[in-house]
Amino acid sequence: MTANVKTRSKHRMDMKTRRRKIGHVIGRILFYVLCACLAYQLLYPVLYMFSMALRNPSDINDPSIVWIPKNFTLDNFADALKSMNYWKAFSVSITLSIVCGFFDVFSCAMAGYGFARFKFPGKNILFLIVVFTIVVPSQTLILPLYSRWRYASFAGLVKLLTGQESMNLIGTLWPMIIPSALAMGVRSGLYIFIYRQFFKGLPVALEDAAYIDGAGPYRTFFSIMLPNVKNAIITVFLFSFVWNWGEYYLTKQFLGSENRSIMTALSMLRMDLSQVSALAGVQLGTNPEKIVTRMQAGCLLTAAPMLIVFIFTQRFLADSIEHIGIK
Amino acid sequence: MKIGSKIGYETKRKWYGFTFILPWLIGCILFFISPLFQSFRYAFQSLEATPTGFAATEVGLENFQSLLFKDTTFLPSLVGSLGDLIQVPLILVYSLFFAILIKGKFPGRTFMRAVAFMPVIIGSGVLMQILKEDVFASGARGGSADTYLFAAGNIPALLNAMGMGSGVINFVNTVISRVFDLTWRSGVQIMLFLAGLHGIPDYLYEASSLEGAGGFAQFFKVTLPMLTPMILLNTIYSVIDMMNDYGNAIIRSINNTMFSLFKFGYASAMSILYFIVIIVILGLVALLLRRFIIYQE
Repeated sequence: MTANVKTRSKHRMDMKTRRRKIGHVIGRILFYVLCACLAYQLLYPVLYMFSMALRNPSDINDPSIVWIPKNFTLDNFADALKSMNYWKAFSVSITLSIVCGFFDVFSCAMAGYGFARFKFPGKNILFLIVVFTIVVPSQTLILPLYSRWRYASFAGLVKLLTGQESMNLIGTLWPMIIPSALAMGVRSGLYIFIYRQFFKGLPVALEDAAYIDGAGPYRTFFSIMLPNVKNAIITVFLFSFVWNWGEYYLTKQFLGSENRSIMTALSMLRMDLSQVSALAGVQLGTNPEKIVTRMQAGCLLTAAPMLIVFIFTQRFLADSIEHIGIK
Repeated sequence: MKIGSKIGYETKRKWYGFTFILPWLIGCILFFISPLFQSFRYAFQSLEATPTGFAATEVGLENFQSLLFKDTTFLPSLVGSLGDLIQVPLILVYSLFFAILIKGKFPGRTFMRAVAFMPVIIGSGVLMQILKEDVFASGARGGSADTYLFAAGNIPALLNAMGMGSGVINFVNTVISRVFDLTWRSGVQIMLFLAGLHGIPDYLYEASSLEGAGGFAQFFKVTLPMLTPMILLNTIYSVIDMMNDYGNAIIRSINNTMFSLFKFGYASAMSILYFIVIIVILGLVALLLRRFIIYQE
């Protein structure tokens, strides 16, 4: 009898583990189905870009083609390259992204370190202003900033050096680079915040050891603290790079038509394509199929550098996300 | 003597701290505070561009008056922009869900994370706008605007067959056409929630499961309370992101007034008013949510 009970309970245990196993497998399947759905809807526009950019315009109204075109062509890219004046815009934007990214990494690190580790009067109010700089729309500041760069005097410095009352910096890259060197570039407030969180997470003993060894605050900062927040540096550089690359409003106003940024070029592409542009030598008229394929080629060309940078840095990004936290 | 040198060290550290934020402070005064005040002054002026700068005439409150009482487009588009904020709770729920989904370790995690962060990387204003216009516009795919993603499922027809009214179908259509907007706006939020989830110490989960808490109880009694600071941050970020967006109706009309109509003073008044509205909304959000925030010790 006892044996009977034992086998029965054993049997029941088996059933239980088996049921749990089946439940686990079903859960996994559901999980991956869900992941696939989410990934599909996020990747859809990118796949669409590829699919459209690579197909012959005549393939667009073919109902038998969903993703893979029947007639591959690179003409779309050729036309988009020409009418965007791509390489010029590319060189402007890549310079801007790299230089501003570099400056943001250092200037925001200094500010973030100051806010994380030192006590000085007015610190909380100043940090509130950091947050405010992200809140204010650039439209609110654009007019004063424009006239500042249009008639730049740098408190008389220009007059001293050139003898002129002011100089015109509109159309050059300086209106984007100088603010970023002073930690006030595109969304710099966010980078200061990221750095502050990272520096707060480092042990104080690290600095104390450096001070005891006779290093001053600057030496400590550059040779002890900065190397310890590598992930923050990479994250900030990635963000600064892609957001400077994607910046449309400020670059459109400040860089003028001489130094078109890549986003300005992209925003004008539809117009450029449908007009007769003798300069670029691309004329499509109002053929919507041709314009759509060229537009997507342009989008892909614009997004490609960001995607490449992202693929190389996303490992560090995922890692640094686990360390930001709220402290 | 000893005490004196200690105070000296403290004061010194204060000054060192100050020198670290000095570049930012200079930048902030030059490129934020003084332009903000300048813009505020412009709002009370009528400006004309001349070869040597702006020629200003003081007009007092006239800009604001005509903005609020005469302009027929400003207030409606302001209301429209505020109406878009309904999406914020949806964004929060979606991004929290996504973050929890990809938090654990599983084969393919790197890929899913990369996909989740991709909107942050390429979701910039102009590109978003073009994608919205082209991917969802009728024509290219032969379908109508709302059937892009679920074309095969044809949900509206299904609902119609089920006997739903046109109100429901329209609602579903709006929701579907906003899926793109919603998911492509959630990149940063997913990141922040992920950061928050990783910040919750494991012992809380261990302790609660020893006490007999199941998955649901753990979510509502551990995960959600511990994430409240992130929820506040994400709400604020989402509001800012939507209000400052390139496609926002108010932003567009400010740009239009400024660079097509050249009514600089008027545009400044608009942007100042808009800025105040944003601040008020953020203040309300912070006040409303503050009571629910639980800070980790």
